[in-house]
Amino acid sequence: MSANPPIDATVAHPGGGRANARRAAPARWVDHGFAAVPTLWLALFFLAPLGFTVVYSFGNSLFGAVELGLTLKNYQTALSGFYLTTFLRTVQFAVTASALCLIVAFPVAYFIARKAGRFRTLALVLILVPYFSSFLVRVMSWQILLARGGVIETILNFLHLHDGPLDLLDTKTAVFIGMVYTYLPIAIVPLFVVLDRIPGPLLEASRDLGASRWQTFYAVTLPLARPGIATAVLLTAVPMLGEMVIPRLLGGSRGVLMGQAIQSQYMQSQNYALGSAMAVLVLIAVAILVAALARLTKGFATVPA
Amino acid sequence: MTRHLLLPQGSAKRTGFSRRSMLGLLGAAPAALAIQSAFPGSALAESAGGGALNVFSWPNYFSNDSLAEYARKSGVTPNITSYDSNETLFAKLNSPAGADFDLVIPSSSWIKQMADRGLLQEIDHSRLNLASLDQSLLNRDYDPGNKYSIPKDWGVLGVVYDPEAVGAEIKTWQDFLDAGAKPGVSGKVRLSDSGWETIGMSLWTHGKDWNKATEAEIRAAGEEIKAFAKHVKTFAGLDPNQLANGAIVLAQTNQGTARAAIALNPKLKFVVPGPMSELWVDNYAIPAKAPNLDQVYDFLAYQLEPEVQISETQYIGFPAALAGLRDKLPADTKNVDLIFGGKDLDFDKLTSFVVDPATIGVYLEVQTEIQAAAGG
Repeated sequence: MSANPPIDATVAHPGGGRANARRAAPARWVDHGFAAVPTLWLALFFLAPLGFTVVYSFGNSLFGAVELGLTLKNYQTALSGFYLTTFLRTVQFAVTASALCLIVAFPVAYFIARKAGRFRTLALVLILVPYFSSFLVRVMSWQILLARGGVIETILNFLHLHDGPLDLLDTKTAVFIGMVYTYLPIAIVPLFVVLDRIPGPLLEASRDLGASRWQTFYAVTLPLARPGIATAVLLTAVPMLGEMVIPRLLGGSRGVLMGQAIQSQYMQSQNYALGSAMAVLVLIAVAILVAALARLTKGFATVPA
Repeated sequence: MTRHLLLPQGSAKRTGFSRRSMLGLLGAAPAALAIQSAFPGSALAESAGGGALNVFSWPNYFSNDSLAEYARKSGVTPNITSYDSNETLFAKLNSPAGADFDLVIPSSSWIKQMADRGLLQEIDHSRLNLASLDQSLLNRDYDPGNKYSIPKDWGVLGVVYDPEAVGAEIKTWQDFLDAGAKPGVSGKVRLSDSGWETIGMSLWTHGKDWNKATEAEIRAAGEEIKAFAKHVKTFAGLDPNQLANGAIVLAQTNQGTARAAIALNPKLKFVVPGPMSELWVDNYAIPAKAPNLDQVYDFLAYQLEPEVQISETQYIGFPAALAGLRDKLPADTKNVDLIFGGKDLDFDKLTSFVVDPATIGVYLEVQTEIQAAAGG
């Protein structure tokens, strides 16, 4: 997540132990050289466009161009009326979807870490492999599943849980299903990592001291899993704030979210200034979220290896 | 802008998304543009010297057969790159990255903006013969005298519906709005995601011209559509399967998608409602700085040949501009009238939208509000 790849002298230096941080000058020079490449790449393709966005957000929009200036007009528009509603709806949406994701991911991660035994690698692979296929294909396959006369309708009808045609596609429910499905693997992995690292003896001790299963979970497992929870929220909520493909493919483009609103300002209204201001607002929301969660993830260091 | 639907004859592929909406989804366009404007003139094939032709077009918008034939005849293989929206085309032509293109295919709505910005050059009519083209497609209000554009193919905004489920005949846009509010139809309606196509319904009903409507008039018309929005199921690209299986029973769409749906479910009907509706035309246009002018005119002359026009129509599923094209198509073409928007299409009752910087923002803003109103 760091924008500036640190040159960590303690890592991966051939022949050098952890304590051996000082190195000969040429070796350091080479390291600097290697580090400069990604730094330059980031500066050019990440920081520079970001800079443009910030500068544009204070400018005046001409159709398809921006006259540089120093006005807060765009922010006023972005923070009033329809756009404010959209912004708040997006935040609410991301938080809800992220929470749903967490609720589903936690038991899965817990099961893999504690109960899967020799099948845990297999389980992790099964969860991660689909994630490497095209995002678009995975979301569109839900279209086929959720469509009228689709697999889910057939199954629900067969189980008598539903009767007749199922019109799930193009609803908010479908969007949430798509969101949870898409982001589930990246929520499971950090949770699995922390749960896996909780030493068994801690739990045994808790039981020995008279805590019930539930008390152990609540007082020992959950607090120790905190950094994983924070990471999972971060990795799901942040991209959800900018999500625009899933609402379009599964939600029928109803109930506009921020990602769609920004895209339409840039591409359709040709109003780069307002689009930039909206993008900066989302960035600020993300930054606040990251800062808040970073405090929680600090706990990572305290989880014993 | 989801009006075109690639519909090759006999294609069994799932045609759920128009090429426009599909590519828009990839979301790569803005990023690509930003990079390209930072590093001009890198991507394209060399255009120096004779014998090159760089075409910037919608994806899959030229028949492969006729392209191959042209390459064989002229020795020049057109180098085609594609865009997903007029906005992308505009932004690219407007940046240094657009300098290498010889031929572009803007829609009628954007010709004026591009011409006004000096992005297109005037077409030398002495080098091309438009006499073979359908005269009702020439000299239209979006480009009087066809100074900058030659029609490539066209379509109309209409309504496809299931008469049984809707229980009424649709003749006007008011009929459409009334039918959509009925129980059993409500919630199974598809509207366009283009602001002028949704708001246009109300403007036309009130006898207004969508190219002259003031901001207040657009907003007032938008309120009517916003009130209707709760009946809408989707604004996304129309999937013919959804019409065939009854998930949607009433939809704004172009004739191409309607024809695909009717092929799946012959009960469906397509109509171009009154009092007015939209005609869109995708056009050949030449960028101001096109480097290979002679080659462009040579290619255009080839594209206007009747056999090529027929082949293009069969490939893209929308009619080329050739006069009398309907009778020149193979006799076994299914639902041939539908390709041309139905049997009695009246071109005098069709109007083409022209993007105006003064109002386009209003159309788009109101459309965003309509889509938001459809699902909280």
